[in-house]
Amino acid sequence: MRISKSVYLLILTGILVIYYLVCAIYLHDLGYYNQESLFYIEKAKIVFEGLGNRLKVMGLTAPITPFYAIFVFTPFGYALAPILASAMGTAGLFYVMASSLLKNLKNDFYLWILLAMFLFHPGLIYSACSGKGIYMSLIFFFLFFINLFKFYKSNTTFHVSIASICLVTLIFCDYKFIWLTLFFLPLVLSITVHSLKLGEQESIFRLYQSINSPSLRRKLVNKTFSLYIILFALPLVAVLCYKLLNLTHASDLNYFNESPYATWNVLVDKLSFDAQTAGGNIKIPEISILLSARVLLFCPMIIVAVYLLRESTYQVLTILTPFALIEFLHIKYDKVYVGYQYYLLFIVLAFLCVIIKHHTVKNHFAFKIMLGIMVAVQIGMGGYYLKTSSIPEEKNFVNILFNRTDDDTQAENMDVANYIASLPGDQHILIDDATAYPIVAFTRDIRPLIMPYESSFLSALESPDKYADYIVIATAKNVLTGYTQLNNKYIIQIKKTIPQMDFRKVFETKYWVVYRVIAVR
Amino acid sequence: MSIPELLINDGFITASEREEIEAFSAESGLSFLKIVLNFGYISRKNYERSLLNAGYTFAPVREMEYDAEVLSKIDLQFAYERVAMPMRIENNKVLVLMANPNDELFLDFIKFTYDKEPEIIVAYDLEIVWLSNKLLGEKYVKSAVFELMKRDPDNSAVVTFTSPQLIFIFVLIALVTIGLVLSFKNTSITINVILSSFFLVAIIFKLFLALVGSRFELHQAVTKDELKLIVDEDMPIYTILLPVYKEDKLIKKLIWNLQALDYPKHKLDIKLLLEEEDDKTLNAVKNLDFPAIFEVVIVPFHMPKTKPKACNYGLHFARGKYLTIYDAEDIPDTDQLKKVVSLFGKLPNEYVCIQSALNYFNRNENFLTRMFTLEYSYWFDYMLPGLDTLDIPIPLGGTSNHFKMAELIELGAWDPFNVTEDADLGVRAYAKGYKVAIINSTTYEEANNEPFNWIRQRSRWIKGYMQTYLVHMRNPVKLWRTIGWKGFLGFGFFIGATPITFLVYPLLLLFFIAYVIFDLSTIRTLFPDWVLFMSIFNLMVGNILMIYVNMMAVFKRRYYELILFAVANPIYWLMHSIAAYKGLYQLIVKPFYWEKTNHGLSKVNNPTNVVK
Repeated sequence: MRISKSVYLLILTGILVIYYLVCAIYLHDLGYYNQESLFYIEKAKIVFEGLGNRLKVMGLTAPITPFYAIFVFTPFGYALAPILASAMGTAGLFYVMASSLLKNLKNDFYLWILLAMFLFHPGLIYSACSGKGIYMSLIFFFLFFINLFKFYKSNTTFHVSIASICLVTLIFCDYKFIWLTLFFLPLVLSITVHSLKLGEQESIFRLYQSINSPSLRRKLVNKTFSLYIILFALPLVAVLCYKLLNLTHASDLNYFNESPYATWNVLVDKLSFDAQTAGGNIKIPEISILLSARVLLFCPMIIVAVYLLRESTYQVLTILTPFALIEFLHIKYDKVYVGYQYYLLFIVLAFLCVIIKHHTVKNHFAFKIMLGIMVAVQIGMGGYYLKTSSIPEEKNFVNILFNRTDDDTQAENMDVANYIASLPGDQHILIDDATAYPIVAFTRDIRPLIMPYESSFLSALESPDKYADYIVIATAKNVLTGYTQLNNKYIIQIKKTIPQMDFRKVFETKYWVVYRVIAVR
Repeated sequence: MSIPELLINDGFITASEREEIEAFSAESGLSFLKIVLNFGYISRKNYERSLLNAGYTFAPVREMEYDAEVLSKIDLQFAYERVAMPMRIENNKVLVLMANPNDELFLDFIKFTYDKEPEIIVAYDLEIVWLSNKLLGEKYVKSAVFELMKRDPDNSAVVTFTSPQLIFIFVLIALVTIGLVLSFKNTSITINVILSSFFLVAIIFKLFLALVGSRFELHQAVTKDELKLIVDEDMPIYTILLPVYKEDKLIKKLIWNLQALDYPKHKLDIKLLLEEEDDKTLNAVKNLDFPAIFEVVIVPFHMPKTKPKACNYGLHFARGKYLTIYDAEDIPDTDQLKKVVSLFGKLPNEYVCIQSALNYFNRNENFLTRMFTLEYSYWFDYMLPGLDTLDIPIPLGGTSNHFKMAELIELGAWDPFNVTEDADLGVRAYAKGYKVAIINSTTYEEANNEPFNWIRQRSRWIKGYMQTYLVHMRNPVKLWRTIGWKGFLGFGFFIGATPITFLVYPLLLLFFIAYVIFDLSTIRTLFPDWVLFMSIFNLMVGNILMIYVNMMAVFKRRYYELILFAVANPIYWLMHSIAAYKGLYQLIVKPFYWEKTNHGLSKVNNPTNVVK
């Protein structure tokens, strides 16, 4: 019996899911965690097991789509949910890309190349096994661009609307993608100029002609504006609405993006800033323009993509926008290293261009060899970039993956969580999950914890003796000590405010201390 | 001298035209006079001139005495066909009204039937048509009104609410009231959540349909090459019904638009349907100083006075294999009829209707016409193709729906008690296992440019949607079985949800204003945060998506200048809500009342839409 292509693809995807799950669970058993997945675990626990009003946590935790994606997998355990989501999601990305590939290409070689990349590229394995939400950004990035290219071909509202919807989701996967809208301004103009019925073929002269004729100019302006609106109205309005929800529910428009209670990368970025300013170790490669060069080295296939699209200015501009995006992100967030996921975008994009433009290639044999070599280079560079990454988490991932050694970065948090778990069930523990979310993530039962999402948190902070039996405090050595109220200074301050109260140290690690609250009569 | 000779003598027709008319008469069975006056050969004024020159005089006949016994021996069809009728017997002669005093066939009929010599009274053809329809049309008008009710009472809107529906409504009201008395807060919360969620789901469904429809926006149901293959001689007879009421100002425009149709003249069977008391329009037709290309049919007075009743009446006189309806101000694409014939030829037999897109020629006239254009653009360019793709019942548009005549009659034609008879017919066709297709051809209409006129028109549409929903939901299980779950849900969300969303909209807006703008404490005590969050989310997202759907509309038609007007959709929806409440009120107090839309208010002139 001959199996159909879609079944064939499903089988391949299934195999990929198993492969990713094996790797992910193995890494999980070695103790690998990262801040993002721990953050999701903690918030998911609050949503499903927390007490009181959890609406804010549910609605304003960002990025919201990867967070919601793990909900599906929480029945398998909170700790496994993020990695199950990322493993399935990355395999899903393969399925989406491969099905587009099969629709456009008859040659199985490209499918094998794609599969090889998903099997061996350390970056894609990182996306699949880390529990991060990278996979979702990659999926919607791919869908956004593929629909954009389909729009170029078909000129139907359907594709531009779907692209717009994908962009909305992409922004809710990673808010930084909002800046894409900025770089699409010239692109949309270029698309419109191309779509005008003019005898002239050269883009620049077409633009010149259309600007100098009143009727064409009106048409150009109207169409550019309309296209821009149809493409970006939804993302911009969605962000606006989301900000308004933040304002009404958290009294801060940017709560989702700037509060450590709402998103995991606020503190991670701050730490990155601290590390850079304190150490004075400026990373030479992360300098504007050199960053684009780094991308080219990371993903040489993107050069092939540009070559394939060379005949159309606006299509070349389309694949140059992500370059503009990362250069912009580097300038705007100058104290933050560009994450690995932004490099991965180019792999997805380059492959997309091969899918849609391979028919323009004359010498397929040479093209395949070149592609094969490039994929091998990319796999190598992918590993190298992870290994030399300036972001500790990324470096840590590759080290654990290749050295297969236990990861003890979360050992202290686990110890504190275990200690909390050993306390009697009716004891209440005051804890600030702005910084201590890893502890909460490892805690088996979060109901005894008093956290900021609960209305009693502020009262407990003011008079812990009435509300809490224990307090988890960040020590002075904890790099996050400045970002939480529950630190050494709090103990001194509260003792001054309520002299009849005392604290007894009951558990201590390098970064955390658990105090028992004692009311002195 | 015979009438044809007289006309040639006076130079109104040529000898070759006479031959052409006689050949056409022999082929079609139509009388010479019918062809001369209704197929664009001469104007009524010139015909009158010719006869007056020849010594004939035209008698006023409307108030003439008649003998019912004499009339009982002639059928309306024959009188209508020969433009003649007997009135009474006087001096042992039959007094006969004739527009063509030389019509030997009719004179022989009189002699044979009454066994008496005829005495001819020459009268204007339109007067005879008026009188014959009025005096002989009772049987036909009764059939137009009650045929569907007799044949298929379950599908007739003559009963607005059935007993089980009334019981359901009152039980629901009772439950809500009991709920409010027992626990005001919880019941309010439940109602709020249900309504606001329903609002959002209904709009998401619309977006989904628009996206599905937009996917095939470049699909050409009939291509230019296929059109080129069409041979005029092979074209079937095509009936066009033009139901008008007090549209005297539009008659000339109507003729120009019809003349522009690219279809063999002799294969067209155009019927202008006038109400008995509509003298204004009848006089406008009489006074035309150029040849008309339609036949006039007078619809005798009978309640309800609705467009579907007029169309059903006109159906008795239709000769075509296919049939369509246009409004007086419609400007169809010139190749529309040919495209339809071509598409019917390609489609399987179960397709009995083809809907053309509707749009507006006066879109840039004012705010209302712009909004209306946006609405029609997404409705006909995206929604209906979306329904078509998903195989969900299509509520037909008011005009430019083309039917296979035999199947239309089999379906029971239009429901005269339903004020959106078109939408109802679309659903009924699906329920009987037939299909409706969409074609890439547009008819341009006049967008309502006056707010009160707009609300009148819209209240009728929304009332009609309510009627249609009630009619087809009399037995939901049966409907589910006949049109399938997809069709059932589609019908519910498209026909049923439309009025409900408009009714719910101001309530949600009220919550929004009370909560966000005035920050009323009462509302906060009544609804917990999550309920307010949800209802505001639903309202905001619903509005945004609806604005987006409106924005999508500009693309296919390239009406880029209208895109920003989509932002005003929430205001436009408030007008819908006013119309919806008016429609709901009318549904209860006067369900069959036809809110007349005034046409011809636009100052915009649009040339005929010639398709090159």
